[in-house]
Amino acid sequence: MSTCRATTRLLFKPSKPLLPTTQCRHESTARRHRKLLHLPEAPSYTPSKTAPSLIYNPPSSAPSVYHTPSKFLPKTDKRKALFAAAQAYATLGALARKTPFTAAPGTPLHTVSHLPPKPSAYLPPAVRTPYEKTYHLTQADIDEMRRLRAEDPDVWTRVKLAERFGCSQFFVGLVAKNGGKAERVEREHEMARGRWG
Amino acid sequence: MKRIRISRCGSQLLAQPAHRRPTCPSAAAALQSNFTPHNYRIQSRPQSTAAAFSGSDLLNAQSEAESSGGARNRKPPPARAARTASTSPPQSIADLTKHRSPRPERAFGSAKLAALRSRLSLPQRFPLQSLARTLVHPSADADPDFNNSSLSILGANLLSYYTTEHLLCNYPRLPMPVVFAAQEAYIGPKALATIAGEWGIEAAAVPGEEVDPGLLQFDRLRSGDDVPAGLRHHEAPWKWNITVTHKILANDEFGSSTSNKNPQSLRGQAVPLEEAAQSFVRALIGSLHLHLGRPLVKRFFRDHFLSRHLDVDKLFDFRTPTRDLSRLCAREGFEPPVARLISETGRLSRHPVFIVGVYSGKDKLGEGAGSSLDEARFRAAAAALKGWYLYKPLEFTVPSSTEGEMDTSEWIPNLVDCGEVIV
Repeated sequence: MSTCRATTRLLFKPSKPLLPTTQCRHESTARRHRKLLHLPEAPSYTPSKTAPSLIYNPPSSAPSVYHTPSKFLPKTDKRKALFAAAQAYATLGALARKTPFTAAPGTPLHTVSHLPPKPSAYLPPAVRTPYEKTYHLTQADIDEMRRLRAEDPDVWTRVKLAERFGCSQFFVGLVAKNGGKAERVEREHEMARGRWG
Repeated sequence: MKRIRISRCGSQLLAQPAHRRPTCPSAAAALQSNFTPHNYRIQSRPQSTAAAFSGSDLLNAQSEAESSGGARNRKPPPARAARTASTSPPQSIADLTKHRSPRPERAFGSAKLAALRSRLSLPQRFPLQSLARTLVHPSADADPDFNNSSLSILGANLLSYYTTEHLLCNYPRLPMPVVFAAQEAYIGPKALATIAGEWGIEAAAVPGEEVDPGLLQFDRLRSGDDVPAGLRHHEAPWKWNITVTHKILANDEFGSSTSNKNPQSLRGQAVPLEEAAQSFVRALIGSLHLHLGRPLVKRFFRDHFLSRHLDVDKLFDFRTPTRDLSRLCAREGFEPPVARLISETGRLSRHPVFIVGVYSGKDKLGEGAGSSLDEARFRAAAAALKGWYLYKPLEFTVPSSTEGEMDTSEWIPNLVDCGEVIV
């Protein structure tokens, strides 16, 4: 009887769903989980004083090049002081509204929140590994570079020479010219283009 | 009736006494038929040409405006030409009758001129004869007292003065090539031709004495013909390295060496419509300055030229923005710029988006988005450089605001930048 029921269940069972049907919870109770993910309200909705104020809350967009960064302003510009004052105010406000605890201290549900503190002082990661400019190449190295380049420009390319001498490709191109290789290649390409239909 | 002041410097008056301005067109016609056949204009022409080229163009313009209509003596209609031919050399008659412009008195009867004056919101005291003169290109009428060449030179200088000071005071750090490009966008030949079209200027098919004075009169270049030598674009030899310094010192306000300095040299040659429209707009500015004064011209310039929108940031063309930014930070004493990845999405997909910001120490200088890390890095560096070059002061005064004023206490010194980044 039970086997018969099992087979029928197997026949009519729907295919396995792609999304999990159970909800994941990272805290012991759902209430603690909700408290952990609690975000403070936007400052525009929680004014600190009753006096009317201007709220500037634009949607996110690419920054305009007509807004000069504070560092680029000349010293005589009044906006430098205004920017510094606005930055200080924003920092103070963010510190006052930092990530809240799960509950008020002293209550049973009080735990430290796992979200990062605000304001965050970290800078985004660098795109390229930062490097120091080295000036280690001597005149002998440069002459060697030129000799190799003149000997066989197709073997000793800028990339190869940069790797060998530990400098940038730009420097190699600056120092060791290739003697008309660019024109030669361009002429070959022109001839190839001429044969196109 | 208001007595007309006759200036003794008006060269077109040299040969004969001035007539009173007729009160109605029929009276003018009656006067015309009573003229003696002797052609004073042929005799006075060498004098007037010499006077024009000796630099009394402005005086001519003023005197022509003052002596509104009565002074000009027109050659009688061709029926009487045979009678006068015996008294004067034949070849100069042929020269003079080749291209003509309408008489100044006919300006009062032209609806187009009155409509144009109203359309441009010019005050009634601006005479219609001056407006008619600004519409006559030297190719239509070679006489410099009756075409717009002198007014065009004055107007061109005024336009470039006001545009230059606007650009340099608004964006003190703008590099010179961008200044040249912005000038050409505001008051270049194509811009002025577009403005003339917007003002509703129509061209006469062929210039002549009988055309409506409200039409733009010029000898039109036929399609397929060569552009006159004065307007042709001279390409410099490829090997010449034309530096920006050379362009500043030797070339005109657009950095180009091929502009025509003397419009009068185009007399008798066929020109394209763009050249004639450009000369009209310049001549109009010149005549406004002479008749109505500086404040009104500045307001006119602001309303019709500065109101045109130009995206100055689109005029930039950087070849190596990362290098330029690095040199800029070294020059100004900032920390070296470092590109940092602010956010990204879809790195392994077909259309990734990377948002990269260029930071000098902790300060973000510029931000750029791209579909590869390198592209985003270059765009961020370009945005940072534009943020430097497009700095605009909060308050500034332009130099022309101090002209004619004794009180210069409101003068705010303009920022003079040390120049663009040189790598």
